[in-house]
Amino acid sequence: MIVFKGVGLVYPNGVHALSDIDLELGRGEFVFLVGGTGQGKSSLLKCIYREAEPTTGEVDIDGIPLRGIAPGQIPFLRRKVGVVFQDFKLLQQKTVWENVAYALQVTGASSRDVMRRVPRMLELVGIAHKSKMFPYELSGGEQQRTAIARSLVNNPLILLCDEPTGNLDPETSNEIMALLARINAKGTTVVVATHNQAVVDRMRRRVVRLTNGRIAHDQERGHYHIGLG
Amino acid sequence: MAVTAVGTVAVSVVLLGTILFLHESFAIFMKQVVGQVTIAAYLKDNSPKAMVDGTMRVMKSDPRVQSVTFVSKKQAMDGLRDRLRGQMNLNLINTNPLPDAIMIHPADPNDAAAIAKRLQGLPSVATVNYRSDVTQKLLRVESVLGAVGLGVVGLLLAATALLIYNTIRLTVFARRSEIHIMQLVGATHWTVRWPFVFEGILTGVAGAVIGIALLEFAYRTFAPKLAIDLPFLPFNFAVVPVGTIALELLGTGALIGMLASMLSVSRYLRST
Repeated sequence: MIVFKGVGLVYPNGVHALSDIDLELGRGEFVFLVGGTGQGKSSLLKCIYREAEPTTGEVDIDGIPLRGIAPGQIPFLRRKVGVVFQDFKLLQQKTVWENVAYALQVTGASSRDVMRRVPRMLELVGIAHKSKMFPYELSGGEQQRTAIARSLVNNPLILLCDEPTGNLDPETSNEIMALLARINAKGTTVVVATHNQAVVDRMRRRVVRLTNGRIAHDQERGHYHIGLG
Repeated sequence: MAVTAVGTVAVSVVLLGTILFLHESFAIFMKQVVGQVTIAAYLKDNSPKAMVDGTMRVMKSDPRVQSVTFVSKKQAMDGLRDRLRGQMNLNLINTNPLPDAIMIHPADPNDAAAIAKRLQGLPSVATVNYRSDVTQKLLRVESVLGAVGLGVVGLLLAATALLIYNTIRLTVFARRSEIHIMQLVGATHWTVRWPFVFEGILTGVAGAVIGIALLEFAYRTFAPKLAIDLPFLPFNFAVVPVGTIALELLGTGALIGMLASMLSVSRYLRST
């Protein structure tokens, strides 16, 4: 599903974010990316949703090489890849319902399709009862549920989560992770970059540790401290 | 939509409209004046009729000539008598000093000089007269005014476009996180661009409407007064196609707004 072959990423300011990344993530897999701040977790995710273009190497998504992909094709790639952020990135002037519907509308979905799929998605993430509220009226967990609903509404093959529990208390974090596990169980590949040791250790999924932009360890059913001795 | 941008479009439209208005009215005036250019070929006394007919034939067969009219000595005197009726009694003159003449209307006033030169070479023609100096000067004034007007209009449009461009850039910058979210959920460049382009068009149209309203007010207030007080001005206010100018200004405002905003957003999107 996601293949990195010798990927290196140097930002225009000269910072080496990634070096020699070889990584293969299968369809329906649940993977944690761990590592300290600035070790390359977010950069690796950016290479998947094409926010950053690798300086060297190749990234393939669902068999499609991203090298040389036309700028006009990037929006269509992003419809296959849902992204969730620590700061939720919701449109503040739109309601929960509108935020989720928006992701469908920009793809040209019919209003009938929007009316059918948005309530179903809000139900799935457990936020349907607050569909008319604005993001600033919601708790952190509710905002993250809205963001997850938005990222899933286009039925993406992959869900990328960059520190999804970074702004949430432990209980809400557990709820969000349980939600991600349910989404993964339905067949969506889920990649979570996180610092949340408790969550990683409890779930015991594949863990990839990044250190200085390189893959230091990669272990099935790993825990947070793999490779740290 | 920034008030400054709308205001600047309005000012540009007022200036542009004034220039267009003056240009149109001057062009109409020129058409009337230059269109009346007549070449008078005064014939030598006692020219044989066959020779005069020959001159007429030569002129009629010239493709640059629109019409040829023969004016006899008698007709010329009668015409003069009519024009001076009440001012001078020409009946006191026993002889008729006026020569026979051929009046020629060129199809294009610019050909008047060449036709006059050709007439000069014909044997029955004594002198040729047309208001060459006035015609040529007016034509030159028209071309100079046209060039200057075009330059000023060009500069104004460029300045207006630059202002809308910057206004939209500021809007884009203020909404960059929203644009980022749109891009993340898979919005195409056109989906992102369209609201800004719409805003640019709206800015252009709003400015143009204000400008046109100001011009309309000025036209209604000043044009009739100017026409009466300064009748010598070469502007014919009544026949200027004001409606067409207003539509041109509205179209220009919308076009400038659209192009400037498209350029502005596209530049931002290329950099992301």
